[in-house]
Amino acid sequence: MDRSVQVVMMYILTHLGLIFFLYPSNIIESTDQGHWIPISLGIVIHIIFVLVYLKGLSFFPRRNIIMIYSSFGKVYLILFLLPIFLYFISAVTITVRAYSEILTIIFLANTPLWAVMALLLFIPFFLAIQGVQAIFRTGILVSFLFLPFLVFILIVSFQNVDASYIYPLWNNDFSFMTKQSYINSFFAISGGFLFLGFIQPEISYKHKKIVIAFAAVVPAFILSVYIPLLTFGKATAETFLFPFVLALDTITLSWIMFDRATVFFLLSLITFIMLFISLVLWKASIIIHHSLPSIKPVYIVVSLTFVIYIACLLIPNWQQVQMLFKWNSVLRFYVLLTVPLSIYFLGHLSKKKVY
Amino acid sequence: MNSLIKEIKDSIGDNDDLFFTEHQLTDLSVVFIGLNSLVDLGPSIKQLEKMGQKNYSSKEKLKQISQLGEIKRNASEITSLLLEGKLMIAISLNSDSVVSVDPVPVKLNRAIDQITNENTMLGPLVSFNEDSLTNIGVMRKQLLSEKIRVKHFRTGIHHKKALSLIYYEGIVEENLLETVVKEIKGNSKSDLYSLQDVTKMLGITPYSIVPRVKTTEIPSEAAQSLLKGKIVLFLDGLPFALILPSVFIDMFFLESDKNLTFPLMISLRSLRIAGTLIALIFPGLYVALVAVNPEVLRLELALSIAQSREGVPYPAFIEIIIMLVVLELIMEASVRLPKSIGPTITMVGGIILGQAAVEAQLVSNLLVIVLAATTIANSTVIGVQNLISIRLLKYIVLIFSSVFGVLGILAGVFFICAYLAGVSSIGVPYLNFKHSKGEGNNG
Repeated sequence: MDRSVQVVMMYILTHLGLIFFLYPSNIIESTDQGHWIPISLGIVIHIIFVLVYLKGLSFFPRRNIIMIYSSFGKVYLILFLLPIFLYFISAVTITVRAYSEILTIIFLANTPLWAVMALLLFIPFFLAIQGVQAIFRTGILVSFLFLPFLVFILIVSFQNVDASYIYPLWNNDFSFMTKQSYINSFFAISGGFLFLGFIQPEISYKHKKIVIAFAAVVPAFILSVYIPLLTFGKATAETFLFPFVLALDTITLSWIMFDRATVFFLLSLITFIMLFISLVLWKASIIIHHSLPSIKPVYIVVSLTFVIYIACLLIPNWQQVQMLFKWNSVLRFYVLLTVPLSIYFLGHLSKKKVY
Repeated sequence: MNSLIKEIKDSIGDNDDLFFTEHQLTDLSVVFIGLNSLVDLGPSIKQLEKMGQKNYSSKEKLKQISQLGEIKRNASEITSLLLEGKLMIAISLNSDSVVSVDPVPVKLNRAIDQITNENTMLGPLVSFNEDSLTNIGVMRKQLLSEKIRVKHFRTGIHHKKALSLIYYEGIVEENLLETVVKEIKGNSKSDLYSLQDVTKMLGITPYSIVPRVKTTEIPSEAAQSLLKGKIVLFLDGLPFALILPSVFIDMFFLESDKNLTFPLMISLRSLRIAGTLIALIFPGLYVALVAVNPEVLRLELALSIAQSREGVPYPAFIEIIIMLVVLELIMEASVRLPKSIGPTITMVGGIILGQAAVEAQLVSNLLVIVLAATTIANSTVIGVQNLISIRLLKYIVLIFSSVFGVLGILAGVFFICAYLAGVSSIGVPYLNFKHSKGEGNNG
């Protein structure tokens, strides 16, 4: 059965969850003017690698990347799957830790951090043990419930926009490429699309339809940076940890009963993040299940969740989170570069062998 | 006494409603065997006399009587036929065979009645009753098609229950049919008393918050499910159809909605979806906004809420739990109570709990409004089972939101979504979007 809609929805939701919190401040920090240049560079890289990845995957119909790598031998498994696995574990740890910090800063001043982290891990854990199809079905249901909010808030977020902040448009300084904050912004760019290679054969989809998802994700990348920029101006926006959240807080809607209606928007993004975490947990679990087939997937997910929770508890403060972002960027770029390219070349290789 | 008759006597035991009546059928002396709780003997004899020959010769008696029914020689078979309400005719108390005939039964079934639990606005009012054969007849009347197939099964050791399966040949999903038939045949020894037994027999877990088998007492609903490829089961004694599989949209979509025009249908269905969401979220929202995240509200509103809660001596969570439990008790009590005492409960619940609790400052005004809205919204869901599962699920949101505030509401809703997404019965996921696509709009 063709489940392209579910896959496209999942792609959009996980990216929306990843984009709106950390990405804006990373980009705003990375350069002084012409922010569209780093944004579009990121988007172009994202699109290219997704397309290469999809092209590579299309050489192997109805197979996931674990099957592909293992058919080429153990070396490939260790060379590619091990880093992917480590990347997944570190990504979940960072995501849970960072987002619970964000939540305690923005909404839950009195709730202890461990409780928020437990929530952010427990619900994805519960979803992950039910398998990949459940995750995708949840995606559809959640998008019905929460996406309308999101579209609405994105429309009203233009309320305090001052278009003159868009200038100056051009920037000759390309030093942003080496800045840590720009490198960190790839968390949003490279984090979400690997699942496309994992879900076959359980969930089959048409590769071409993923292109539809770009139409939703690309504006999100741009808006997440430009709404705070145009609301506050670069100098002010730079000082905020979560510029987009603050930009939304400036919105006043006199005709609804909530003062901070944006809370609902931001929290629905948190549910998308939960979806993302459960997807990554599931991916990590099937990698382990492949190497240790005797252990039940449920136990793998339980132990992974437990390890990640302990790891999250061991991170004491925001500086450490930033540090982990830095360390994680090595893995991030390794995975971003090698996985799509290796799948693409292995695909070509296997095609030649056949003919 | 002959062994066959003795065997029958032994197996049914010393039942006082078992009769062995010698009778003169026109000019032939026979013995009638039956249960007078099931057989109306007088009219039955009259009927047999009409059907039978004018003159019986004393030779070949058995052959002549056998025109009235079937000859049976196996004692255990005869016993079960007797329990089903058949009448046996023996030539004498010593004969080694009997003739089983259909007598005039004692009227034990109620007539086809109006719907009692699932009222519809525009739709047929006929409902199923306890007799599965009648129900099948009602279904056949709904769908005049030669493609309808009916299969009968008898299951159970301690008591044999009739289980009938209906499907629409050509439309039914083959895998589903195959699995269901296999499960029924494989578990033919399980005694079926309730819906839980049926789900267990079909290999579906009974530990589920949402109903895995849809029940309906409306024949047109059951007929429409057949046309969608589903399977309908009737268990003798249960006055409703069991529809397999049960899916998410059954909570909101009623076939009789289609008797309205399209926009009206869509708005009604959206209303039900909104009602479900309100029932799930409102109690949680109250706790979250009062206790955890009051800053989300507009200042004037936050102040007026705080004012209404002035003097309430316990936290919002305890306050709402107390009131919710009382409310659930009222609902349960009003189902249980005889109709003559029912109004008392309504009065006590409405006036004393609502008004007095607020005046005594035990709960806030707003809470009473929230609870009323929740209860009303909850009732918009279709089906008694769904109603109860929504009633239960709202506590998940409530508990999450009492700890995590507004985040907890969304986390709770997400959790429920995740739970629903994981549910599947007989290989069909509960959130089956394929069917909903055919419905056009999701509201």
